[in-house]
Amino acid sequence: MNVCVRAATEILIACALARAQAPSTKRDAGGYPAPTAKLERGRTVYVISSCHFCHGIDLTGAAMGAADLMHLPLVGRDEDGNLIGPIVRAGLPNLQTAMPQYPDYTPQQISDLAAYVHYLRQQGRYRELTAASQDSEVGEAKAGEQYFTGIGKCNTCHSLPGDLAGVIGKYDKAALRQHLLRPGPDNAITEGASAGLASHLKLLERYSDADVQNLIAYLQAAR
Amino acid sequence: MRVRAQSPAKLSLIGGIPFGVETFSFHDLPPAGDPMLIPTLIEDMQYAGLAECEIMSGHVEPMGSYATGWWVATRRAPGYTKMREDARRWRLTVPMDYYSKIRKQFEDAGLRMYYYNVNFNETFTDEERDRTFEAARALGVDGFSSSTVLSEAKRLVPFVERHKMYVAMHNHNNLVDPEQFATPGSFETALAMSEYFKATLDIGHYVAGNNDPVAFIEKHHDRIVNIHIRDRKRNNGRNMPFGQGDTPIKEVLRLIKAKRYPIRCYIEYEYGSFQSSREEVKRCVEYCKEALAQK
Repeated sequence: MNVCVRAATEILIACALARAQAPSTKRDAGGYPAPTAKLERGRTVYVISSCHFCHGIDLTGAAMGAADLMHLPLVGRDEDGNLIGPIVRAGLPNLQTAMPQYPDYTPQQISDLAAYVHYLRQQGRYRELTAASQDSEVGEAKAGEQYFTGIGKCNTCHSLPGDLAGVIGKYDKAALRQHLLRPGPDNAITEGASAGLASHLKLLERYSDADVQNLIAYLQAAR
Repeated sequence: MRVRAQSPAKLSLIGGIPFGVETFSFHDLPPAGDPMLIPTLIEDMQYAGLAECEIMSGHVEPMGSYATGWWVATRRAPGYTKMREDARRWRLTVPMDYYSKIRKQFEDAGLRMYYYNVNFNETFTDEERDRTFEAARALGVDGFSSSTVLSEAKRLVPFVERHKMYVAMHNHNNLVDPEQFATPGSFETALAMSEYFKATLDIGHYVAGNNDPVAFIEKHHDRIVNIHIRDRKRNNGRNMPFGQGDTPIKEVLRLIKAKRYPIRCYIEYEYGSFQSSREEVKRCVEYCKEALAQK
């Protein structure tokens, strides 16, 4: 599929999904309602388990020595709760202030909880990685190429002379960053997303700030 | 500097027991340093019908508690060293009327701060420890409640003796680290160090560590200044709405009432809810009222 058509299709699907599941904007003590039923179930687990008191309502402002779930690499590697779930069920009794155990949580609850944590992390990392301060940083094109063809596996879907030819030149640095991070609508979510968009959202949780700077340097050098 | 004690406030008595709140319970306050933090806290206490509190240092000082070194994990965070130094500099230079103005806000509202919750730790300098005791005097509190460790308790002995102000050790439920307050033995080790060491028994954490709060209160009631009331399950279990966990809240309250122990009972709300904190604190108070009303 042509990259433009594919991107347009992804955007249309995501917009339709977002419209169908338009969230209420009324904030409560657990933050804003989530955009889908699964994510809202996950938010309920997150809030009723009082995760938010230590890890933050939106994963920012972690308190009481709790892990920073916005940046913890383990969360970025998690797939549907396979890493988060065992920790939640067993708790962390050795911490300075022990994290309680939740041994009775069902696989469905763990899956919902993990989906919500990933959703919050994607929203948060997008905000962080598109902050104005990022514009002043300059990456290394060589490192960006290594990421593109290596750990990021970008080359399994994209190539500079192929689908990306002529695309990169249309964007300034800020727009290129936004498109690279989340090539979909502002409220794009993993649930129901195309494989391409879902991959970008997963990467969004795994990029370091330097990874993004380097990728942009690599793409801009190829103009 | 001599500072007058706080003027009398209305007591929030339930069954004859003075009730209050650990201000950690109010999770939706403005951030540290915001001028609306104390007025909001006062409003929340009035809403919940509680006249006294144990106030967290993060609700008094303009920097969050994380800047004061208690959380070991936080010490590894980028920028921590500067943040900690800034916090120390602030403590050593802030005029004492910063604290007395906060005290006046409570007095004007007819409320009282009984305990200053400061988590003393090895990142404090001696000068900073002294200054923190002076701050507590200016706030008008009776003493400190502190999540601390045994090695820091040893360091605090000359300070409590010199300032003649108590520090009440607050427990969590880490049973692995022998430095932590979590077991009867850890409390007893500290209580033997100085008559100015007391206990703030968190009955929910105590139960989560598979200990018996009723037995501890019966044995050490003369050294317990207040309890934190929360309901957790045993075996490092979760926080639950009052009455749904394993913590014998009713038994503890009825014991304190029956024996007329001079122990203040403070709500600590930490189970999750979509309601505001003050609604949940009020709900916790209602539970305690019912518990003490039953025969």
